[in-house]
Amino acid sequence: RIMPVRWSRYNPSYLEPEVKKESYQKPLEELTEEEREQMELKAVRPIKAAPLTLSSSVFSDPMISKFTNMMMKSGNKVLARSLMSQTLEAIKRKQLEKYHKAPENEKETIECNPYIIFHQALKNCQPIIGLSNITKGGKTYQVPVPLTDNRKRFLAMKWLITECRENKRRRTMMPEKLSQELLLAFNNEGPVIKKKHVLHKMAEANRAYAHFRWW
Amino acid sequence: QSLAAESFVVSALFSPQLDRGCALHTAARGGLSSVSSQDVPAERPRAIFHTSESDPAKHTEQHEGRLYNIPLEEVKAVFPHGLPHRFQQQIQTFNEARVMVRKPALELLAYLKGSNFAHPAVRYVIYGERGTGKTMTLCHVVHYCSRQGWLVVHIPDAHLWVKNCKELFQSSYNRDRLDQPLQASIWLKNFKTSNEHFLEEIKTQKKYMWGKRESTEEGRPLREVVEQGLARVRSASDAVGVVLRELKLQSHCGSFRLLVAVDGVNALWGQTTLRKEDKSPVSPEELTLVHNLRKMVMNDWNGGAIVTTLSQTGSLFKPSSAYTPQELLGKEGFDALDPFVPIPVPNYSPKEFESCYGYYLERKWLQHEKAHTEDGKAELQFLSGSNPRQLDRLAGPL
Repeated sequence: RIMPVRWSRYNPSYLEPEVKKESYQKPLEELTEEEREQMELKAVRPIKAAPLTLSSSVFSDPMISKFTNMMMKSGNKVLARSLMSQTLEAIKRKQLEKYHKAPENEKETIECNPYIIFHQALKNCQPIIGLSNITKGGKTYQVPVPLTDNRKRFLAMKWLITECRENKRRRTMMPEKLSQELLLAFNNEGPVIKKKHVLHKMAEANRAYAHFRWW
Repeated sequence: QSLAAESFVVSALFSPQLDRGCALHTAARGGLSSVSSQDVPAERPRAIFHTSESDPAKHTEQHEGRLYNIPLEEVKAVFPHGLPHRFQQQIQTFNEARVMVRKPALELLAYLKGSNFAHPAVRYVIYGERGTGKTMTLCHVVHYCSRQGWLVVHIPDAHLWVKNCKELFQSSYNRDRLDQPLQASIWLKNFKTSNEHFLEEIKTQKKYMWGKRESTEEGRPLREVVEQGLARVRSASDAVGVVLRELKLQSHCGSFRLLVAVDGVNALWGQTTLRKEDKSPVSPEELTLVHNLRKMVMNDWNGGAIVTTLSQTGSLFKPSSAYTPQELLGKEGFDALDPFVPIPVPNYSPKEFESCYGYYLERKWLQHEKAHTEDGKAELQFLSGSNPRQLDRLAGPL
């Protein structure tokens, strides 16, 4: 069992840990003034403990880790991570089979990298504008509101996961369904993109209430 | 002039490798470069780690660490069962079947080539830690034997016969034993696919009664016994027993060579998870299939060889760290198999790792941008510990 060492409240003087190998391999001359000051600061100040999910592996990706955390149920990270790796493998297999069967001129258009597909699919699913409930004069109105980047990413991931959990047949496995949904979202098709469009239309329909927003 | 041409082709083969940034390990590079100049002249293999020699009989130390191609029709004919599941998925994705030639397999092939068929059959036990390539070594040997024209009795996984059996019937031949119609009929179907031509030539030497009305006369081809087993599923296990008995009796005549290839032979002497109708546990000798297979694996016949693999992965009631023959076979199994030739299968050597990594890169299996770099390769080697199965699992999502 891994016991967490990172505290939740640190003194403001503690600095974040730097995990990437490349930043330590740069020779002294190439650093700019700010980076030199940062290095000198690190020599004197204490450093926070690195969180468990932060890895120095070249293959680690923060979006994928966030998605795995959202897929996790009751703390079973092992299962969530294995489902994620099976999904990526399933996407790769499907695309590679398509690639090998395609004629020469179409081969370049087929994207085989599961990470690029994942990132593009999430980007396609992110809504631009959201709705929020604002109560005025006793009635609640759905007011169109701009969304922060974090909120957009969260909504895209949440929609994908709920879609895969609810609308799959009883015997399909999660990686299979997820890979299907990600490939559809990559091509701007599928139920998650439809949900995003529905949200956009609702926001467009409620334009009149836009002035209720005060932030 | 030919030397200049060869060196030009060798350097042309090397330069794409170097450009991609995967500089070969110096010892590996030395080994591979000295070898490639002999392989290159006539045909041009796709890269250094491939070899165009697809006949296992001609594989030597020269081909060690390289991957050879098995044509897909041959895969369907020779391996209707027996290939690991992940490898079958890989064949489907890459549209080709490439098997690596490794030292243990070469050792086994040398023993088989030099064996005297007048002496009793020698038993070879392939053992090693989890995921090091024991089943693939067995498949290499089976391919060699089928190319040479031997009759191959290949049991893909003996563990499937001692667990998860839905139907157990009391055997009509012997009251104490239990039949497994499903497993027996699946095996008979695959046996028929792999050895079509032999079933016509071999004739039965005794009359066999299947129940009260059906019987197979003396001198009929074995194909009829197999079809009887497939048609009447109830007597499938007895059909398997008859087939094995006939093959054993006739192998010393010299008209054919017999190879008995059993994967997971430690299942025959362990415990089963099956229970009889009165909930008492079934021991392996009470199963007809296991009983007949044990007789087959004894070395009291000549004219062939017995190649077996130990496997902890499907085994029952054995700790996961057990991999030696002593631990997995137990006392009973070890005594039964006693004079055997042990063949250990280690993890990948640096050269084999290079070759596997290069193959994945070439087939576009490693798609992550960082996987093409030196750092990525070092990380893969460290995380997998050069274990073939771990490397395959790690390279999946990347």
